[in-house]
Amino acid sequence: MALRRQSVILGALLAPVTLFLGVFFVLPLLIIAVFSFLTPGLYGGVEWDFYHWNYGRVFGWADGIIEVYEPIYLRILLRSLTFAAMTVIVTLILCYPVAFWVSSLPDRWRLVFLFLITLPFFSSLIVRLYAWLLILKPTGLFNSVLMNLGVIGQPLEILYTPTAVVLGMVYVMIPFMFLPLYASVDNLDRAQVEASLDLGANRVQTFVKVILPQTLSGILGGAVIVFIPSVGNFIVPDVLGGAKGLMVGNLVEQQFLSSRNWPFGSALSMIIMAVVLTVLLVAVARAKKAGGHA
Amino acid sequence: MRNPWGWVALTGFSLLFFAFIYAPLFVIIGYSFNSNPVNMMIWEGFTLDWYTGLFGLSDRATGVGNRAAYIESTDQMLAALRTSLTVAFFTTTISTVIGTATAIALARYRFRARGFYNGFLMLPMMMPDIVLGIGLLIFFVTLGIKLSLLTIIIGHCTFLTSYVFIIVQARIAGLDPALEEASADLGASEWTTLRKVLLPQLAPGIMGGALLAFVISMDDLVITYFISGVGDTTLPVFIFGMIRRGVKPEINAIATLIILASVVIAAIGLWLRSRKTD
Repeated sequence: MALRRQSVILGALLAPVTLFLGVFFVLPLLIIAVFSFLTPGLYGGVEWDFYHWNYGRVFGWADGIIEVYEPIYLRILLRSLTFAAMTVIVTLILCYPVAFWVSSLPDRWRLVFLFLITLPFFSSLIVRLYAWLLILKPTGLFNSVLMNLGVIGQPLEILYTPTAVVLGMVYVMIPFMFLPLYASVDNLDRAQVEASLDLGANRVQTFVKVILPQTLSGILGGAVIVFIPSVGNFIVPDVLGGAKGLMVGNLVEQQFLSSRNWPFGSALSMIIMAVVLTVLLVAVARAKKAGGHA
Repeated sequence: MRNPWGWVALTGFSLLFFAFIYAPLFVIIGYSFNSNPVNMMIWEGFTLDWYTGLFGLSDRATGVGNRAAYIESTDQMLAALRTSLTVAFFTTTISTVIGTATAIALARYRFRARGFYNGFLMLPMMMPDIVLGIGLLIFFVTLGIKLSLLTIIIGHCTFLTSYVFIIVQARIAGLDPALEEASADLGASEWTTLRKVLLPQLAPGIMGGALLAFVISMDDLVITYFISGVGDTTLPVFIFGMIRRGVKPEINAIATLIILASVVIAAIGLWLRSRKTD
């Protein structure tokens, strides 16, 4: 259909979103950028003077008098990236085979299992994390079962460790990895797989040359969708991680709700935003190069 | 499948995968009926005390001799539920209207900034919620706007508008534009065509978008956590607070009720979707 040209109605349709997101989305992000270069005030306020040490504290320059460079911030930042990457890898390993299994089921069962995957998305995030708190506690389900079976004598300390954080993130992120993966697996041209095997390629060759390239867009799509919310996550480490599981999101939260150093918290948020935008730009550039829509 | 054992292994793995997804939810449900308040792992008998306790009907409360505190927290919990429902209602309405209007504008009009809008609308969904939450917090505080129900609703709409937009846009893409062309050819004005021809066809998509917005709004924790006023706790923030103070059997009861509610909502969503394909 020939698209219509500008009209009063077009203006009326676009005005609300433009105004709303302009004021309540773009402006707040700009304000974070401004705040990240302001001087923290003595009692939790800000002073409107240019100040670059908020970033210096993280990346390694400091005057050594007012602001001291602490390597811990960089370490926590790297840890957040690592945890997010591990979450991507584990969800991928878990979801990839299952996507093939679900897509090979008869119609009726396929719908049932797809429904079962999306159902947790409808139930509360905090409730699902709380379940893991119950399971991983020293007196929780996991340890009790293992001790009753005689596998371990002492409860394992899993809760409040990095393992617990990654496990929790994997658990809440599974639907986000599964759905894009499933879409690409379901579109896989089975005839090509058969042809590859018939023509003498072994399983590994068939996987690398036929299956992997055709499902790559799903893998990358899922990876981006899982990675981005994981980097800035602060609820999972708050509930399941101890001091060793602290992530950059927790640092931001502390700056706003307990330390009351808003400029430093803004600088940390800018760093999270920079990571996210970089990942998005790379993903978009790749999708454009591939010519499809990832 | 060429290899039956490979198929069996894959099936086994997949069933374990689904067990992994669902086991934690069943753990909570099981615990919520266990009358042992100290160690929930040890079964001491079936009880509904934690449920009745939630509504202030039971004498049994876990904080030793702390019944008064629990009655108070029943009121707080119901207040939080009310806040969540109010916020979700207004958020759903506003974001559905704005998101639908945007989807129609981008699908049915040609203008220079179209590509820009298509990309820009992805951003609120991809922006980590903590960044959006603190951005809005600084914004409201700097402008001297008091944190309240209104600020929570605004915060939810900033990203839910995009979700509604995506769902409605997908629906428009599947429509046959010939109907609208026919309407225009037969002399209907642009506005009439929009209202009488396009909107009715979009209804299932709009319903789907609204349902999604409602569910996500009810569940949002991070943004609400930063921009809710002192008296305006939503249910997720309330539960988060309870969990931070320690594990209590009453939490299992609330959690079980939330799981049940979400199953019901998801089932309604599925039903709507199956009707849509008729």
